Amino acid sequence: MIRKEINKISEVGKALISVEGNPGVALNHVVELLEADSGQSLSFAKAINITEDSTRFQVFNGTTGLSTRTKIRMHELPLTAGFSNKMLGRSFDGSGEVADGGPEVIFEKQLSTRLDTLNPTVRNVPKQALWTGIPMIDVFNTLVKSQKIPIFAGPTEPYNRLLSQIAQGAQADVIIFAGIGLKFDEYQYFKEQLSQSGNIDKTIMFTHLAGDSQIKGLMLPDVALSVAREFGDQGKDVLVLLTDMTNWSNILRNVANYQDMIPSLQGYPGSLYSELAKRYEVAADIEGAGSITIIGATTLESLEDPVPDNTGYITEGQFFLENGKLKLARSLSRLKQGVNGKTRNDHRAIMTAMASLLADAEKAYEASEVGAANDPYSQKLLRYRTDFIDNIEEPFGEPIELEAALDRCWSILKRHFDPTETGLSKKLIEEYWDKN
Amino acid sequence: MNDINKKRTGSLISIQDSLVKARFFDDVVMGETAEIAVDGKFLQAEVLQIQPDPKNAEAGIVEMQVFEDLTGAKIGDEVVFKGTPLSVLLGPGLLTSVWDGLQNPLYKLSEEDAYLKPGMQAPSLDEEALWDFTPSVKVGDALTGGDVIGSVPEGKVDHKILVPFSFGPCKVESIIEKSTVNITQQVAVVIDELGNKHELKLAFRQPVKSPIPFKERAIPTKPISTGTRVIDLLAPVGYGGTVGNPGPFGAGKTVLQHSLCKYAVADIIIMAACGERAGEAVEVFKEFAELEDPTTGESLMNRMCIFGNTSSMPVAAREASVFIALTVGEYYRYQGKKVVMLADSTSRWAQALRERSGRQGDIPGPEAFPMDIPDQIKGMYQRAGDDLGTGGSLTFIGTVSPAGGNFQEPVTQATMDATGGFWGLSQDRADAKKYPAIDPLVYTTSVYDGFVSWKDRQKMIQTLNDANDIDQTISTIGLKKVPVANYVQFQKGLTIDFCVMQQDAFDKVDACTRPERLAVINQAVQNLIDSDIAFEANDMDDEQLKEMIKHKFDELRQWWKDWNYAAKTDEELAKLPNAVDKFILQEEYAV
Repeated sequence: MIRKEINKISEVGKALISVEGNPGVALNHVVELLEADSGQSLSFAKAINITEDSTRFQVFNGTTGLSTRTKIRMHELPLTAGFSNKMLGRSFDGSGEVADGGPEVIFEKQLSTRLDTLNPTVRNVPKQALWTGIPMIDVFNTLVKSQKIPIFAGPTEPYNRLLSQIAQGAQADVIIFAGIGLKFDEYQYFKEQLSQSGNIDKTIMFTHLAGDSQIKGLMLPDVALSVAREFGDQGKDVLVLLTDMTNWSNILRNVANYQDMIPSLQGYPGSLYSELAKRYEVAADIEGAGSITIIGATTLESLEDPVPDNTGYITEGQFFLENGKLKLARSLSRLKQGVNGKTRNDHRAIMTAMASLLADAEKAYEASEVGAANDPYSQKLLRYRTDFIDNIEEPFGEPIELEAALDRCWSILKRHFDPTETGLSKKLIEEYWDKN
Repeated sequence: MNDINKKRTGSLISIQDSLVKARFFDDVVMGETAEIAVDGKFLQAEVLQIQPDPKNAEAGIVEMQVFEDLTGAKIGDEVVFKGTPLSVLLGPGLLTSVWDGLQNPLYKLSEEDAYLKPGMQAPSLDEEALWDFTPSVKVGDALTGGDVIGSVPEGKVDHKILVPFSFGPCKVESIIEKSTVNITQQVAVVIDELGNKHELKLAFRQPVKSPIPFKERAIPTKPISTGTRVIDLLAPVGYGGTVGNPGPFGAGKTVLQHSLCKYAVADIIIMAACGERAGEAVEVFKEFAELEDPTTGESLMNRMCIFGNTSSMPVAAREASVFIALTVGEYYRYQGKKVVMLADSTSRWAQALRERSGRQGDIPGPEAFPMDIPDQIKGMYQRAGDDLGTGGSLTFIGTVSPAGGNFQEPVTQATMDATGGFWGLSQDRADAKKYPAIDPLVYTTSVYDGFVSWKDRQKMIQTLNDANDIDQTISTIGLKKVPVANYVQFQKGLTIDFCVMQQDAFDKVDACTRPERLAVINQAVQNLIDSDIAFEANDMDDEQLKEMIKHKFDELRQWWKDWNYAAKTDEELAKLPNAVDKFILQEEYAV
């Protein structure tokens, strides 16, 4: 097929180019940019704004080096993502091209990256747990298949290390890692850690490094989520790890500004909520098929910032990472109630008991900071608090099964309290107290 | 109006996200709908603005918002103008339905594909379902728009069949006998004053942006039993009233909405899930279908219909979804039904307007919302109301999702101004697990009559206020400086908050408090507020006395909480005022 070519670019900006007139390109369709003389491919671009007088494109590889002589070749297709089972264990860039220096992957099919909404009637009400091997998650905020949940963390917190820990222990069929604006060492760390665990063969990495073309970062979640969705449609339980969605939102903000869109809060476009929701809503437990679960890292200075704030309204609960620990007090999830009643009979009770004791311990800790809390019970609570932080809120280490995690909870209680101080029922105490 | 038979078209000259412009040569009507042919699919659009064409004096330019994804659209694609404004199909079969924001039935669409694709459409109401039609007019009767020609049973609801509201005076030319028909069959023919004949069916289309009129609009007076104590006691809503319900994320808005769906006493509940999580709407229509309506014993879905324009669906359809749901509500109100509509969330609706006005290049108001957002919000809430003429009412409860949990933002402020009631969820109360997290002191206002007298309500709020003040005193200058009498007042307030304002939405008994039970609780509360409690100081000093008072109140609260979970029969109910009486006298009451 001979593809139509356009010879004149009228405007080159940051990440965007325009041509005059209407070359007949359709909205969201892809064009290829070619070096004027050699015909060498420079980049792909997507039509985002079309009028009869001009057409504007987002350039995937950035606009540096483009000139008004650069040729545009039309592909007359929207952006697609290649799919193959052979992608497992491999790394790709934001447009789905091989990025690990390995052999090319022959794609079995091309997927639409439009992320059409799943018909809500085809969704199952979430009822199945997804185990991560991390006690703080499995016991206290059990992850549920189809859940979309952010990790809120300060920019210096080890949130990528946490995602890597989750990837190593997660009992999912397929793990999709989607990294936007990653630092090289984070990418390398993730890859190495995963290689050492057995989960590398069921993981696909899509990565965009800090400094790479912004548009490739912007489109990365769509490519990664389209691939995740295809596995989900095929019956697999897929876990998607998005990091960091604040980077992604910032690219969105930059590109909106290049397009002269009217900003709403802190320069972000008014569509920030819809744009984030479109990606997170891919999470689903699909009737008669598999599921897609999304954990997204969101770095923040304050919970009131537009990105975490909008994310909070979109997602279902939150994990909060602070000082390298997953904090019980600031994490929440409503969906866990759908699964934690069907596990071991002590699960809910011990979750409640430990949380309530921890709340008391936090009060004692505050008192101790001003020199109060000298009574023996407060001292007990303080020792419990330290133990809880070290052994439950600590997310890093060898993944452990739920039963082992629950047993660990019992042994912590036993180390510090008398059975009656725990508020646990007599029946459970009889069943578990002396076992641990 | 235009000649319906003449096809009017235009062609696209600009495409940006969901906003397009087209050049036309005929005539275009403001607000009419259009279809855009893209790759063989027909996408729904609505006219927003008509302008002159600077390039061609013969032509005009029309600006439209498109309700579906425009990928693949090209300059020159054909636009066909439909001549009718955005409208909703009204008729039997509305109840139990689950639609997207444009009234496409989601279960029907799922037979075609698991994903919602641009251009997908299906009849809004089941065209095959059969209804037992009983006529109530005869040949020659004079009618006008909105008049009843017969009825069909729709579950337990007596669904009246109406002459479309756009009709003027007309006469019945023919009407079918009592028979079983579907919504596509003719049931009557009427002849208008010009002698034109019109076919009537069980269902008709109604424009959504012009309200269905009231017969005799009235101020809402009768309060709705919502089953939630803090609402029914402090911030009641009347049938036909309006309420704004803002809250930061994680404060329990969803649980409160679900609770209202389950327990609000009404004939019909309409839920407009507008720009929110799909999972929450799914919980409603999948789990509520299996839950029993406590009053009828039937599935809760039998009195509900749901418009699910969830957060990942096209933004332009979000605005439409709220108006479509409102129109369905007005339709049932006109039939004399008590309708409660929940819109979750009106902030997402306002954000859709913001996205659109930004693309249209309008000068932005605060936080980039359109300047006229307060007027648009008021206009929307004004469509709710009580109708003495029909005996029906439409109550509108809109949730608001304030950015950063800040109630000063434009949508929350405009909503407070537009509504008669205000239920604000507080982050502090949610953090302290005090549910429902409506702050009884700051965020409960209402212009509606309640289940308890205004005086009783004020006394309750006063006690809660006192307790709050004393609490602050205690935390700043310490308990020692607080006089015993104040400490007792503090404990009274704590008790009312803990045992009455807080409620367990997941407990079968505690989740719903009806007016009779509320009256019993109020009696106990008022008695507690009014009475001096006969604590015996003996030879205790003040600090020991306070310790003892705390202990006694702790016991009462524990007892009262158990009562909340357990008391069902009249006899058991009566134990509460008794126990409080005995507590006041400091006698033994635990039985």
